[in-house]
Amino acid sequence: MFDIIGKRFRFFLISGIVILVGIISLLSAGLPSGIEFSSGSMLTVKFEEPVEYDLFKEEMDSLGYTDAIIQSAGEGQFLIRTYELSDSEKAQLEDSLSARFGQVTEAQFSSVSPQIASETVSNAAIAIAIAAVGILLYVTWAFRRMPRPLHYGACAIVALVHDALIAMGVFSILGAILSWEINLMFITGLLAVIGYSVNNTVVIFDRIRENLTKGIGSTFEAVVNNSLVETLSRSVNTGLTTLIVVLALLLFVGATIQNFVVVLIIGVIAGTFSSVCIAPSLLVVWDKKEWGRFIPWRKLSGEKAR
Amino acid sequence: MTRKNAISLLLILIIFGFALWAILPIDAEKLGRKGLHLGLDLIGGVHLVYEADTTENATELARNMSRTVTTIQKRIDKYGVAEPVIQQLGDDRILIQLPGFTELDAAKSLVEQTGFLEFREVELTEERKPITLGDYLEQTELQFFDKREQGDRIFVASMVDEEGNLKHKTAAFLVSDDTGIRLTDAAGNPVDKETLKEFESGLSWISARGDDGTALTGEFLADSFPSLDQSGVAPRPQVSIEWNSEGGVIFDQVAKRLYSPEQDYSPQHLLGIFLDSTLLSSPRINEPAYHGSGVITGTFTRVEVEELANLLKSGALPMPLKQPPLYQEKVSATLGANFIQMSWMAGLIGIVLVMLFMIAYYRLPGFLASLALVFYGTLVLALFKLIPITLTLAGLGGFILSIGMAVDANILIFERMKEELRMGRTLGAAIEAGFNRAWSAIRDSNVTTIIVCIILFWLGSSIVVSAPVMGFALTLGIGVIISMFTAIMVTRTLLRLFLHSPLGRRTALFSIDRGKK
Repeated sequence: MFDIIGKRFRFFLISGIVILVGIISLLSAGLPSGIEFSSGSMLTVKFEEPVEYDLFKEEMDSLGYTDAIIQSAGEGQFLIRTYELSDSEKAQLEDSLSARFGQVTEAQFSSVSPQIASETVSNAAIAIAIAAVGILLYVTWAFRRMPRPLHYGACAIVALVHDALIAMGVFSILGAILSWEINLMFITGLLAVIGYSVNNTVVIFDRIRENLTKGIGSTFEAVVNNSLVETLSRSVNTGLTTLIVVLALLLFVGATIQNFVVVLIIGVIAGTFSSVCIAPSLLVVWDKKEWGRFIPWRKLSGEKAR
Repeated sequence: MTRKNAISLLLILIIFGFALWAILPIDAEKLGRKGLHLGLDLIGGVHLVYEADTTENATELARNMSRTVTTIQKRIDKYGVAEPVIQQLGDDRILIQLPGFTELDAAKSLVEQTGFLEFREVELTEERKPITLGDYLEQTELQFFDKREQGDRIFVASMVDEEGNLKHKTAAFLVSDDTGIRLTDAAGNPVDKETLKEFESGLSWISARGDDGTALTGEFLADSFPSLDQSGVAPRPQVSIEWNSEGGVIFDQVAKRLYSPEQDYSPQHLLGIFLDSTLLSSPRINEPAYHGSGVITGTFTRVEVEELANLLKSGALPMPLKQPPLYQEKVSATLGANFIQMSWMAGLIGIVLVMLFMIAYYRLPGFLASLALVFYGTLVLALFKLIPITLTLAGLGGFILSIGMAVDANILIFERMKEELRMGRTLGAAIEAGFNRAWSAIRDSNVTTIIVCIILFWLGSSIVVSAPVMGFALTLGIGVIISMFTAIMVTRTLLRLFLHSPLGRRTALFSIDRGKK
């Protein structure tokens, strides 16, 4: 039988390192935000003839769009992301491009004003905050008959913050390398991850609740570990089936909802890990009041509690 | 097979049959427009959000906003866009969605346009006889009858519709430029004389000009507003107009020329009010001088008067809109069609792989869960169509994600069943225990997902760039709720069915051998 709880501080260390790297990346590179959050225009142009990226970039630079982010989006197709274009600026840009590279069609265009962008940012932040509070309240309520129900809610929240941090951190690293930007689909994906993470955590907590009520197991720690092991194949299998469909989305739908899919992939992996290795372990740490062990130089007092 | 189980099975089959009937036939385009309601990002179209400009007039905002929405609706209806969405968003915003309309600039000018208002009179021969399109068609070489007026002519055909109302229709133009004089149709395209024959009675309208040749246009109009004519027995709605000082002078010069002492309705005495070359109204001039203001009377309803007064304000929207729009988006139809194909593939591959995984890992129960998954997919698509839910790309993403999560309840139950079998229960008892004991976990875990969906939906409804978030929240939320039903009801009914068949004795099919530790 696996002893997951016994190795809890090793798992904390792994998570801590991943989160730390992510935070460093978030602080240094940040999360470059798309037009939905920072306003501006996004234009996808399509040429009849294939055009080389370098040539296109060069032309855009010479037209004065040196700050524009340009991505190749398939054969003869480019995605241009720049400041909020006026009608005449857009018309001029398209005219210049067609003069240089031949017939151009505008496959997609969107433009967001600064006012809308700031509303979107604040509402997205509010939504995430409300989601966290809502989940804390619900989990606490669902485990209200247990001793210390708030522990369950709080640990579920820590697990979801853990997953969100990892998703943002990894995305920030990928974003810095691949020049990705976050958009509303990123927030949607993040909230889906939050839902998924808590869903998993609650299943395990539910088993702990059941086993505690039955009175099986000698210590709280043993009960938690048993419950974990009993639900382990469920945790892994649900993670797998979810990953299967998310990968299918990545392969077929690709670029347009890339943000969403990538956040989900990171989130499902992190969510499975956190609900198995982090959230129940935290319950035990809290139960045994081992907080001191998180501070290395107080290790001895932590050992005593064991 | 117990009686209760037979009823459940029958019920499931009926629902499945109904769901299949609802979504079939899926036409050639798989998810065609007639089948499911697709969002703009999938079928292509234009999405605009405007904000009212309240700097000049902040009073009666609510009333003016709803009138603005109506005005925009009318303009778009004229254009013939299928299923447009024009609605007020919050206090001072207007959302416009035009599916299938991919000319962003045309859409914007359609909404933002301020019409060109001008005043015209009927062209007369030297004998003061009104000239019609027919007179011009008889000419062998086109030339103006009234040589003093070199501007274009608008020919207006008037007809009475089924309800007995007089309708005006711009039939043709006579324009002159460097290449000479030519006739065009109402859209400005060259046209031959034969096709214009049916409008030959249409009068020829020329610009109404003051003595110094200044054409009377909307720029001289200071105000126009609905009022009541109190002269009769019952008050009648009318439109009051006020000219600015220069307009008042020009208008009186025109009025003096058109004035009819006999008060007859012959075309010589009419003043044509044209908005964007369309005749709005042609009141008779009753007085030789108006000194800066006047009224347009007629058998108007209150609504018509309000509308005309509005149009006279140079066709402006009741509430001016800030430009550029707060948000604008355009997706081409081909891009959207690609997304549909790709999502369809992703969904299909996803569901097949999940089914294979379930069968490989859980054997017979896994197979039954796969059947439940097919049932799930069919039922959810049927609901999307019947409610109806507008599917966006993100919505499809949410649906596909829900396929992966829909089997979660089954996994929970089957894992529980295996444990119960390992503890030495009989197969039947293990199945029942599996379902009963897994329920609290299924309920509590799904509620958290539903909470997230509700919050996402709120987020979507509170922001302008809303389509992706709301679509996702809706489809995932519906998916989670339906999957609780299908994973539990359908799988349990099918399992009970097999339990009492010869297959039920072959426990290897229930994969307990894998469960040994």
